[in-house]
Amino acid sequence: MKTGPDEVHPSFLRNILLPAASIRFRLALLHSILLFGIAAVAIGAIYQNVSRVLDDEPMSRRADFTELVDTPILGSSSTTQEDAAGGLQVFEEAVNSRALRQLRTYSVVALAVLFFASLVIGWYVSGLVVRPIGRITAVARRIQGTDLSRRIGLGGPPDEFRELADTFDDMLDRLDAAFEMQRRFIQEASHELRNPLAVLRTNLDVVMDDPGSGPDDFRAASEVALRATSRMSSMVDDLLLYAHHERPDIHHDPIDLASVVTETVADFAAAAGSAGVQLRAEMAERLAVVGDPAALRRGLANLLSNSIRVSDPDSSVLVTAGHDNEKVWISVRDEGPGIDPDDIDRVFQRFWRGDLSSAREHGRSGLGLAIVRQIAEGHGGQATVRSTVGVGSTFTIWLPRYVDR
Amino acid sequence: MRILVVDDEADLVEALARGLRREGYAVDAAADGDEALDKASFTPYDLVCLDLTMPGIDGLEVCEHLRANPVDGVVPRILMLTARDTVGDRIRGLDAGADDYLVKPFSFDELSARIRSLLRRDAGRSGAVLEVGGLVLDTARHHATCDGATLDLTPKEFALLRYFMSRPELVVSQEELLEHVWDEHVDPFTQTVRVTVGTLRKKLVAVGGAGAIETVVGRGYRLGTGGEAR
Repeated sequence: MKTGPDEVHPSFLRNILLPAASIRFRLALLHSILLFGIAAVAIGAIYQNVSRVLDDEPMSRRADFTELVDTPILGSSSTTQEDAAGGLQVFEEAVNSRALRQLRTYSVVALAVLFFASLVIGWYVSGLVVRPIGRITAVARRIQGTDLSRRIGLGGPPDEFRELADTFDDMLDRLDAAFEMQRRFIQEASHELRNPLAVLRTNLDVVMDDPGSGPDDFRAASEVALRATSRMSSMVDDLLLYAHHERPDIHHDPIDLASVVTETVADFAAAAGSAGVQLRAEMAERLAVVGDPAALRRGLANLLSNSIRVSDPDSSVLVTAGHDNEKVWISVRDEGPGIDPDDIDRVFQRFWRGDLSSAREHGRSGLGLAIVRQIAEGHGGQATVRSTVGVGSTFTIWLPRYVDR
Repeated sequence: MRILVVDDEADLVEALARGLRREGYAVDAAADGDEALDKASFTPYDLVCLDLTMPGIDGLEVCEHLRANPVDGVVPRILMLTARDTVGDRIRGLDAGADDYLVKPFSFDELSARIRSLLRRDAGRSGAVLEVGGLVLDTARHHATCDGATLDLTPKEFALLRYFMSRPELVVSQEELLEHVWDEHVDPFTQTVRVTVGTLRKKLVAVGGAGAIETVVGRGYRLGTGGEAR
């Protein structure tokens, strides 16, 4: 679409036609003005030619014309050839000028009729052309707020308008899916927050309502309240994190993933030590990816805390990182209980927890692995898991490899 | 009245059990669906407070199972407690056989009002006040009077009197009282039923309600409707 309308329409035409409101009217007017112009030029040329031919080459001067004059049909032979020629010339000029006048009149009338007819036809035709636009506008206008169920569904031949309408429909599909995801997320998040709220409220209700509650009862209720609020705040933190990573950030700078892995593993040395878990890292050098180091560190940290949590004392957690031609990967392998094959497809779903009750006690939100997946996908990669019950699990983040050209 | 509270939130179950015990109910607790079905399989609960989302067997399945397998011919009243509040969730819960539905977080007063209302349906009454002879028991305000004189009752005595008053003129066995007024923590060979019936009787005698609860030898106890018993 390099040739804009400015090049198609001369600017003076645009200036004349712009004030008129609708495209339909402007199209119709443009059509008939162009048609009128072409017809006027054509008719003018014809007229000019005809009149020039008549002026330059009068019939009376033609040689063969004398023969015509000499024939008896034209009347008396008494008139001389010159006389006859002079009379004829006057007569001929009168005839010519009359014919030309007639031609002028007809031309003007024909042009006027053509102009109005082309206006009417142009109005009708451009109406046909712009009708799909009206339909698209009407649908767009009816879409209100978050009700995105309407579609244009233009149909017809695969022309430019059909393409526009289909593009519009595709955009609505994507918006609809995004809104639906958002709605589900809010619903799930509020469910998750309601449970600790219920614990909080019921405990306070029961203790406050009981006139026999002593300091010990209030103390116990306060401890429960503390647990519930710390659960809620870690939930809110993770919800914000999740919401933040839901929109993939655009990264431009290549980073060395090996240093991210080294630093994160070092951060977890103390946690692993106090859990009695042996934490080791093996990795290749120069793992270049384009990405956000803070987000990648968070993703690996979630995997590490997950693996250390499920590991028994004296077992080990191994972090490996490497690359092939296209991808860079970070892998965290634990010797924990493994994941049931029925659950393996759900581990990256938000709010999935292997052991619901203990997760709640420890204030886990169930968003850790969902955030890992989000971060991996936000970087154009993916997160995968392989697990054998009784042997352990291996979580892997795959990222596109950055190759310096 | 014996209630089973089922929720995987230990802190919530504990608070609910405490509050409901204070209201004079016998309360058992279960942490998940398996434990709930286990307990409900040999105890005829009057009411089950059931969390909808639990690990393992969820609330809907527990509800359907309780409906399908009555103990001693009794299907408990089921009150669903849940964090899910969409219309679809409510419909599914009620269709699975729940009698009522309460969305978390709830006020404990509302919960206890709903429990009273559900238990009243079984007793065929519409109000919160029980009246047998000269005895008047207000289950909502936790207040009992005998011929106008206020009775000062412990929660257990209150629960015992309520159970008798919901079955006037019927013989109630010791086992039945143990099942409906005491919870799972009671020692089945204990003298607690006899002792509590004894103290309740004394308090009734003190305000002139002598002989309201009579002993039917070898079978249990019976609450008379008044007149001839006193």
